[in-house]
Amino acid sequence: MAAQALAVAASHDGYSAIAFPFFGAERRGAPVLAFTRFGQERLRVRTQVYEPHYVVVLDESLIDTVDVLAGLRPGGLVVVNTTRSPDRLVLSKKAKSATVDATSIALEYTKQAAVNTAMLGAFAKASGLITIEGVEAGIMEVFGRRLSKEIADRNVAAARAAYEATRLGEADSGRVYPKASKWLPTAQELPPGLATPTLETPFGRVGVGSSTSNRTGGWRVEKPILDDAKCTNCLLCWFYCPDSSIVRGPKIVEIHYDYCKGCGVCAAVCVPKAIHMEREVEEEVRA
Amino acid sequence: MIEARTATAGERHMVTGDYAAAWGAMVSRPQVIAAYPITPQTMIIEHLAEFLAAGKLDAEMMRVESEHSAMSAVVAAEATGVRTYTATSSQGLALMHEPLFISPPMHLPIVMSVVNRTVASPLGIWVEHNDTMPQRDTGWMQVYVEDAQEALDMVLQAYRVAENPSVELPMMIGMDAFLVSHTIESVDLISQEAADKFLPPFKPVHAYLDPERPLVVGAAAPPEYIQEVRWETDLRMRRAAEFLEETDREFGRTFGRTYGGAFETYRLEDADAALMTLGTVTSTAREVVDRLRGQGERVGLIKLRSFRPFPADRLQDATAHLKAFGVYDRAVSYGVGGPSYIEARNALYDTTTMPILGFLAGLGGRDVTPQDVELMFKKTLGAVGRGRRASGVHWIGTRGVSP
Repeated sequence: MAAQALAVAASHDGYSAIAFPFFGAERRGAPVLAFTRFGQERLRVRTQVYEPHYVVVLDESLIDTVDVLAGLRPGGLVVVNTTRSPDRLVLSKKAKSATVDATSIALEYTKQAAVNTAMLGAFAKASGLITIEGVEAGIMEVFGRRLSKEIADRNVAAARAAYEATRLGEADSGRVYPKASKWLPTAQELPPGLATPTLETPFGRVGVGSSTSNRTGGWRVEKPILDDAKCTNCLLCWFYCPDSSIVRGPKIVEIHYDYCKGCGVCAAVCVPKAIHMEREVEEEVRA
Repeated sequence: MIEARTATAGERHMVTGDYAAAWGAMVSRPQVIAAYPITPQTMIIEHLAEFLAAGKLDAEMMRVESEHSAMSAVVAAEATGVRTYTATSSQGLALMHEPLFISPPMHLPIVMSVVNRTVASPLGIWVEHNDTMPQRDTGWMQVYVEDAQEALDMVLQAYRVAENPSVELPMMIGMDAFLVSHTIESVDLISQEAADKFLPPFKPVHAYLDPERPLVVGAAAPPEYIQEVRWETDLRMRRAAEFLEETDREFGRTFGRTYGGAFETYRLEDADAALMTLGTVTSTAREVVDRLRGQGERVGLIKLRSFRPFPADRLQDATAHLKAFGVYDRAVSYGVGGPSYIEARNALYDTTTMPILGFLAGLGGRDVTPQDVELMFKKTLGAVGRGRRASGVHWIGTRGVSP
C-alpha cells in the first residue's frame, strides 16, 4: 500500500507514476517487494525494478539476509527504518543513506508497528523529489479510501513526524553476502513434477523440512517474555500458540523465538499473567 | 494505447486495474452481478460491493458458492433479458469451464473480466494466460488488455460488441495478474453520464422473460438441430471482428482514445521484422521497439487484442510487407507452442512464406524484461531471408534450455 501511496504522491506532485507489488505467500510482517516508478514522461516498461535509484527498507533485519543495494544505481540512496544514525549503517557498498526510527513513530501515532506510511515521509525528506503534501495526498487517497479518514489522519501524522526526524548521511561498505542466495535448478535438474525430497543445496535446504531454515521470528515487533516464577505450567499458551513456539518443560514452559511472530496470544491467554509483551530493539539479532 | 487528445469524459484518479475494471462494470449498469472471489480478481468484486453499498450501483449482487454457480447465475439472469457481469481468475475460470459453453449458442452476451493467473499445477497466483487460452473453443470472445485504462474502457466496449444483434456472444476481458490488476496508475474514470451516451440500455432481442410471450430457452436438442446451431454460432463469431473494429472507432469518437480494434500496430509500416504480443508485455515491447529503431533496426510491433474472434484477414494485410514475424505467448499448448503463435501461423499460411517464430516467456508470472523482448526481436531479425524452415518455438529465459 505504501508503494501505491507513493505513486499517488508522485502523481499529486505532477509526475506520471505507476506502482505494483510482488506478492508471495505473505502475511503482515513478512518480507515483500513493491515497486514504484515515476518520472516526467509516460512510463511504459512494466516489469519489476532491478536497478532502482532509491531503495526503501522497512525492516532493518532484512539487511542481515538481503543485499538491499544489489541493484542500486551509482549515486542512489537507501532509506532504512532503524534507530541507528545513517553513518552507522554497514551495507555491501558505500552509498548515500537516510535513516529514521519509523517503528517508534508508527507505534506512537498509529498504535501499530505498520511503518510504511512513516517511511513515505522519510522518503520524501531524503529524496527531495516528493513533497510532504504529496505524501499526505497519497496516504489520504490510498488509506483513507480503504480504511477510514481517522486512520489516514494518524498515518499522515506519522509520515510528517518521520519527515522531520529523518537524518541523512553515508552508509559504509563491508557487509558481505553470498553470491547467490536462491536454489535455481535447470529444467533438467528440477525434481520431476516439483516433487521435492529433502535436498541440501549450497543455498540451504529445500523440499521436506526446508521451512525450518526460514526463521520467521524476524517478522516480530514485540516479543513475549516469561516470568518463570509466575508460570504454573498450565499449558494454555502451549495449546494456543499458532507457531509451536512454546515448548513444554518439566516444571514450566519455555518460549522459542526462532519462529515466534510476537502475536501476543500467549500473553493474552496466560491466567497468572506470567507472560508479557515487550518491544524488541534493533540491536538484538533478528531473523 | 493511443493517448487521449480530446477532453476526458470523467476524472483522472490513481487506481488499480481491478478498480478500473469494477468502475467500467459499474458505469455499464449491469442489473445482475454474480461472482466468487479469487486472488487476484477479489478486489473487482470488493469494489463493486463498495459501489453498491454507496448507492452508486443499482444491481442485484448475488453471493454464490462457487465460480460454477456464478456463471450459471449470470447465464440464467441474462436469459431473462438483463445485462450481467462477472469476474474471475485461474482455477475459478477452470471451474466455470462447463457453464461457459452455455451462453454463446443461446445468444447471451455476458461480459466477464478475467484476471489472468496461472492454473495449477504448480500452484501460483501470478500471471499466465493458461486460464483463458484453453477457453478458446467455448464460443466466448476473448480480448487482452495492456493497462488499467484499457481494462475499464474494454468493459464498455465489450457490452457494445457482445450485445450487437449481429453478434450476441459473451466476451471475456483478460488482464494480467498484478501487472494490471494490482498496479496503480492514472485512469480516466468515465462518468456515468458519458458512459450512458456510449452504451445504451440493453434491449434483448431473442431471449427474455415475458409472461406475455413464453419461450423455451436452454432446451435439449436432438442431432436434427444442433449442427445448425453450431454453424450459426460460428457465423456470429466470424462477424464479431467487424463490430470490434467499429465499436473501437465509436469509442474513440466519444472518449478520444482508441485501441486499434482487434489489434494495434506500432511502428509497423516500414518494418522488416515484427513481434506480436498480448497483455502487459506490449508496453515493455514498445520501449524495446524504440530502442532498436534508435540502433537502426527496422522493427515493429503488433499488439494482439482479440484472440477470439481471431483477426486473420487483417493480420494477413498488416504483415504482408514483413520479412520475418515473431509471436509472443504467455501460455503453452503442450507439444505445439503458444496459442496465438498457432493462430498466426494458420492465418498467414496462405499469404506468406516468411519465417514465423514462436516465443514463450513469462510463464507462471516470471518477469518479461526488455532484454527478453530484445532477444525475441533479434531472433526474428536473424530469421529474415531464411524461409519457413527458420520457424520454430523458442523458450526465452528458461534455465537449462537454449532459447
